[in-house]
Amino acid sequence: MTDNNAISIHNLVKYYRNRFLALKNISFEVNEGEFFGFLGPNGAGKTTTINILTGLANFNEGTVRVFGHDVMKDYRETRKLIGLVPQEFNFDPYLSIEQILIYEGGYFGIPRKTCRDRARALLNEFGLYEKRNQDYRRLSGGMKRRLLIARALIHEPKILILDEPTAGVDLELRHRLWQFFRDLNARGRTIFLTTHYIEEAERLCSTIGVIHRGQIVAFNEKNRLIREISGHWVVVELRQPLKALSEELTRFGVTLGREGKVLRFQEQAGVTPGVMKEIHRLGLEIARLDVRKATLEDTFIKLTGFKDSFEGDLDSMRMAADEE
Amino acid sequence: MKNRTGFRALVGREIQRFLSVFGQTILPPVVSSFLYIFIFGFSIGRSLQEVSGVSYLEFLIPGLIMMYLIEGSYGNASSSLFVSRWANHIQEILVTPLSYLEMVLAFLIGGLVRSVLTALGVYLVSLIFVRFPVYNVWIVLYFMIFVSLGFASVGLLVGLLSEEFEHISMWTTFVVEPLIFFGGVFHSMDMVPHVLKVITAANPIFYMVNGLRYGMIGVTDANIYLCMAVVMVFFSTLFAFSVYLFKIGYKLRV
Ligand SMILES: Nc1ncnc2c1ncn2[C@@H]1O[C@H](COP(=O)(O)OP(=O)(O)O)[C@@H](O)[C@H]1O
Ligand SMILES: [Mg+2]
Repeated sequence: MTDNNAISIHNLVKYYRNRFLALKNISFEVNEGEFFGFLGPNGAGKTTTINILTGLANFNEGTVRVFGHDVMKDYRETRKLIGLVPQEFNFDPYLSIEQILIYEGGYFGIPRKTCRDRARALLNEFGLYEKRNQDYRRLSGGMKRRLLIARALIHEPKILILDEPTAGVDLELRHRLWQFFRDLNARGRTIFLTTHYIEEAERLCSTIGVIHRGQIVAFNEKNRLIREISGHWVVVELRQPLKALSEELTRFGVTLGREGKVLRFQEQAGVTPGVMKEIHRLGLEIARLDVRKATLEDTFIKLTGFKDSFEGDLDSMRMAADEE
Repeated sequence: MKNRTGFRALVGREIQRFLSVFGQTILPPVVSSFLYIFIFGFSIGRSLQEVSGVSYLEFLIPGLIMMYLIEGSYGNASSSLFVSRWANHIQEILVTPLSYLEMVLAFLIGGLVRSVLTALGVYLVSLIFVRFPVYNVWIVLYFMIFVSLGFASVGLLVGLLSEEFEHISMWTTFVVEPLIFFGGVFHSMDMVPHVLKVITAANPIFYMVNGLRYGMIGVTDANIYLCMAVVMVFFSTLFAFSVYLFKIGYKLRV
């Protein structure tokens, strides 16, 4: 356990009060300066992990450290180092937009004058300056999202934790936020981004951890993670749906998706001809054939076990095509 | 206190919160105290005999001040904490380097400021009807401060335990208000039957009311040192318990 890790989590186990086991012994480390992507479908345990890091959730076993400080014992230290952009809006309804920033900075121990200056700068940067005396409830969804980010930056934390910051955000703002996160990272801030969009993690992150049902199923540099899964994938679209994979197809590692109309497998010597022969033997008609480089999605499918029951989850993890 | 700036900010936020709803927090008790003093003290009280050598009106005023002090500090802490749990902005505070002691103290001081302002308002209203010199201002301050902090702690506990708005009003209606009314705000021990004497003596509010009454008019039904001790034990126990619950994150952290 080295202390220059921005975040280190060891053997973390978390049960909710209803005895639901949300984190089943997870361990990983995030280095300083990294753009880390924590990827997983809804309900995987991403927010739970973040809440433990930031003091919003208790845990049962394990150790969680931020720059070497224990989040339970040295909570005052660790909290100074983290800025959290939560998944849900949680603004103080008694305060105006500018006051939300000034008070939050105050709680972090920053003198009022400094808070005032920083709040102005952040409000300008996020295009909220004109609205500074308003009630936050009158802001649009995208503006509230920006206010969340401004609030998380008021104490200039070394680590910025973003819990699904682009969920429900329109395309234009999403791209602007992505650029903004990249800039923050380039200026040395460690970023911990939670997302259920595979593409978002692929575009932004240098290292990716994949969490699935409370377990870390993959953790690596993004490019390695994709390379591990190897070069090329073949995607075969069928005219008629196939109810179940034949034994032969299963042996070749083929997976079946999208209402039984898509076969997918990793290209390897002998596999492609074998699969083609089997498709022919089964009398299936091919509508389209695609060979492409492996993507994070392929990795994801391979790691989490692509099953029909999982397909709904997977669809929700793709950014809608029309958004792009 | 390691995060003074943070602590001051949270106290400021607590004060701003009740001031921003002044018409719901400070004004109503001051107005209704006028009604109480006018009807009970001034009108009906005139036909009552003197209590412990003072007029019923004079006897009543410290009791009313204590009643509004308790309601103000309890109400402030319970609703502030409950609403911030309910709307989740408690998270704005939980993620900061404020210690749990600082968080609890800031909430209590918010309650203290509100209840002292209210008490001051009630006192000013009482001056319309009767004037008397304050018997001992230090004793008055002692009871105002520690009763406020104690009942703000009760408010925090209720704000933590409640899962719905309704629960808060149930605590108020079925626990806090009966204790206040049986706590000797309106009656002296001499005025009531034996069974009510026993009930009254078992009620911590009785010692708070009498402590303040002693400080204001020099009259009490209970030993002043006993009153002071009850208030201190009441405050320190509940305060320590609140800090403990914040520390373990009871109903604050999932
Ligand atoms: N307060 C809670 N009580 C019980 N179960 C919870 C609670 N919060 C979350 N969970 C469950 O824990 C799992 C992980 O949730 P979460 O960390 O929010 O997932 P994610 O952020 O990855 O979508 C889910 O199955 C969710 O239903
Ligand atoms: Mg989540």
